[in-house]
Amino acid sequence: MSRKGNLVAGAVVAVAGAVLAACGGGSSGDATGGSAGQVTVYLGRHYGIEQVFNAFTAETGIAVRFTTGRDPELRERLKTEGKNTPADVYLAADAANLELAATDGLLAPLGSTVVTTAVPAVLRDSQDLWTALSVRARTVMRAARVPDAEAPRSYAALGDARWKGKLCLRPATHPYTQSLVAALIADGGVAGAERTVRGWVANNPTYLDSDTKILEALADGTCDVAVTNTYYLLRARSEGKDLAQAVWITEGPGTHVNVSGAGIATHAPNPAGAKRLIEWLATTGQRPFADANFEEPAAASVAPRAEVAALGTYRRDPIAVERFGALQPEAVKLLDRAGHR
Amino acid sequence: MTALGAPVKALGAPVKALGASATALGAAVLAAPVVVVVASLVEPSTDTWSHLWQTRLVEMLVSTAVLAVGVVAASLVVGTAAAWLVAAHDFPGRRLLGWLLALPLALPGYVSGFTWLDVTGRQGLVMAAVVLTASLYPYVYLLTLAAFREQSARTVEAARTLGCSRWRAWWRVVLPLARPSLAAGAALVAMEVLTDVGTVRLFDVTTVADGVFRVWFGLDDRDGAAELASVLVGAAVVMVTVERLARGRARFVQRGGRDTGVAARRVRGARGIAVAAGPVVLLLVALGVPLVRLVPWAWTTVAEGQGRTVSGGAVDHLLDSLLVVSLAVVVTVVAGTALALAGRPGRARAARVLARVATTGYAVPGPVVAIGVLVCVAWLEAQGWWPAGWALAGTLGVLVYALAVRYVAVAHAAVAASADKVPERVVEAARTLGSGPGAVALRVELPLVRPGVVVAAALVGIDVVKELPVTLLLRPFGVDTLPVWVWQATSDSRWEQAAVPGLLVAGLASVGVAVLLAALARGAEMVA
Repeated sequence: MSRKGNLVAGAVVAVAGAVLAACGGGSSGDATGGSAGQVTVYLGRHYGIEQVFNAFTAETGIAVRFTTGRDPELRERLKTEGKNTPADVYLAADAANLELAATDGLLAPLGSTVVTTAVPAVLRDSQDLWTALSVRARTVMRAARVPDAEAPRSYAALGDARWKGKLCLRPATHPYTQSLVAALIADGGVAGAERTVRGWVANNPTYLDSDTKILEALADGTCDVAVTNTYYLLRARSEGKDLAQAVWITEGPGTHVNVSGAGIATHAPNPAGAKRLIEWLATTGQRPFADANFEEPAAASVAPRAEVAALGTYRRDPIAVERFGALQPEAVKLLDRAGHR
Repeated sequence: MTALGAPVKALGAPVKALGASATALGAAVLAAPVVVVVASLVEPSTDTWSHLWQTRLVEMLVSTAVLAVGVVAASLVVGTAAAWLVAAHDFPGRRLLGWLLALPLALPGYVSGFTWLDVTGRQGLVMAAVVLTASLYPYVYLLTLAAFREQSARTVEAARTLGCSRWRAWWRVVLPLARPSLAAGAALVAMEVLTDVGTVRLFDVTTVADGVFRVWFGLDDRDGAAELASVLVGAAVVMVTVERLARGRARFVQRGGRDTGVAARRVRGARGIAVAAGPVVLLLVALGVPLVRLVPWAWTTVAEGQGRTVSGGAVDHLLDSLLVVSLAVVVTVVAGTALALAGRPGRARAARVLARVATTGYAVPGPVVAIGVLVCVAWLEAQGWWPAGWALAGTLGVLVYALAVRYVAVAHAAVAASADKVPERVVEAARTLGSGPGAVALRVELPLVRPGVVVAAALVGIDVVKELPVTLLLRPFGVDTLPVWVWQATSDSRWEQAAVPGLLVAGLASVGVAVLLAALARGAEMVA
């Protein structure tokens, strides 16, 4: 009896425990308690963000709890949770993610003059549903052995036959590539963008799903030229590894930039706290938010940190970053058609 | 016990009805998320399908088929050969090597994958097949090892007496008798390959499962992704059917008391070393390559004080993993046991059909299961009778439920393997002696299937310890399991920092492997 009894009793207790945990689960693992002074963030970007949130909490007394995840999944979660969502803020890397959240009705208007004053319009949603908080340039990288004068000055020039077998790219599955091609479509139309992408593909590129690995491939001779975000280069330099040189795009509309940004969830339990956090991140918090990841601040009045500034000034592609969202499916189809991995 | 007998007997009929309907309800609850996914086929996303047809659909189907067939074939060869060496030869280091050969099962493919990539720098279908085989062959190894140990030594002796050489006896008698285990192992490996996303993505192989995410994340078409995922459900149904057909009506019952297994031949000296070399080489590939990267990386990160994350140190993540694993194992094994007992041979056909439907979650990639669960939860919350403000999504309960949906098939198969061996006449005898069906299930069947329950717990435990996508999407605030830590590091391109959590996952999962091996050594079986 005792053995079976134990087995059954054990099972009953465990199931009861699971049910209890399920009921209380919403607030488990969060020591701060009290939702009035707390903002909940769904976080698709996680570069040293906790120190930034700690600074916000120290200044305002509002606690921040967050969960990380892949952006499309976080949006799906927001969507199905609907009115019951615990999320106040959706914070994502890549403008396409923010714009897709906006189109799906997951974000509420910010209604903040603090934000509109601080951040230029081209880096915000025209419906006021989200704002950029930092800017990252995605540009050409050359191996140190490639002379600066010979480096490509446009994305199309990466299709030049001289880079055959010497080009490293991020696969089409990554949002960075998708948004870059979305920008190419916005600037040069589908046909122009497709010519550019087919040019890359004709060079038989090496596809690596990590910007850091791409930079290492430049250093070890696998590739001569590549496309990555500049902060990966600076991050490697800060760790003592000088892997490549950044080359700004001077032909055509300029260097493609993308953003990290945030919006208030439509069904935020604490919209006031959410607004407070986003306003703080767009002003006082700009410094730590952008600096932690070697990005440029979104606020026009805040200068980038020294290492970022040392890369030199460049001409930003002036296209409104919000357009990446609507163009993303088109960009993905184009990449598939062109045979980009 | 006797004091309980009378009331239990009196309750017989109502308990039976209650038990049957509870099982049916449970099966329906487990099947719901997958049904939701498959139901998306009713209104197909024609735009997405025509785009796929014009671009990558053929590539996806072909590379999925080639990868699945290749990995299954390689796992069968490697796994069976390893099992035969260990079962039939007494060579130096046999016990240790026999144990180590199962260990690659503890190492998740998404961890060994990036170590392989770092060591070889090579991508492509062949590399993906090598890495997947290296982490999945233990399924075949464990199953066939158990089968060889269970076979009667006298069968081989008979074949030898009739003039078969040792090799011929193996080929003509031992291997065919192990056919059910081979088929079951092949099915397990194939399911894992079909639903794998992490490894194929690392090696730039576009499979159907990878396509699901291209459509969902890239084209922003969740329904199209679900439709593509139901292709996998279809493939799994075909596979299970083929496996049943391959096994035929044979039940492979061996009579004559407790079997001693295939006799091990003592090999020592040069021959012994030659026999031991096989497992050693296999282990150098399957465990050596990952460890040669993971250990130094882990050492460096710990030495630099980076062996922790936003949510805390290794202990916090370990405790989160233990919490999720223990709850998921209990719920999944209870559900799998109930389904297996209800669906025993000779029981109602409806119960077996229900079990079949409830266990399809294993054929669906984790994130798709998670979305199915979210849709079901949202529906439940939208009903008027659901208390407002009681959010379900993001609770531990929903995460555990989703993991049960994903892995109940594993638990069901293991318990059913034991349950199939319980002769119906034992149950009938208990009934004749006056016990109700509920009492029989608790007091006769459950104790008899205990070995199966232990195997189920170990297998589900190993799977859940390594599980990433469902946990990532559905975990409550502050519950960051070890695989989530791995993901946080790798998604930020910091493979080195994924070494500490990767090794901890392997360590935790190897506890499950040890339990599994011990249970199999005692004569338990892994799958029905």
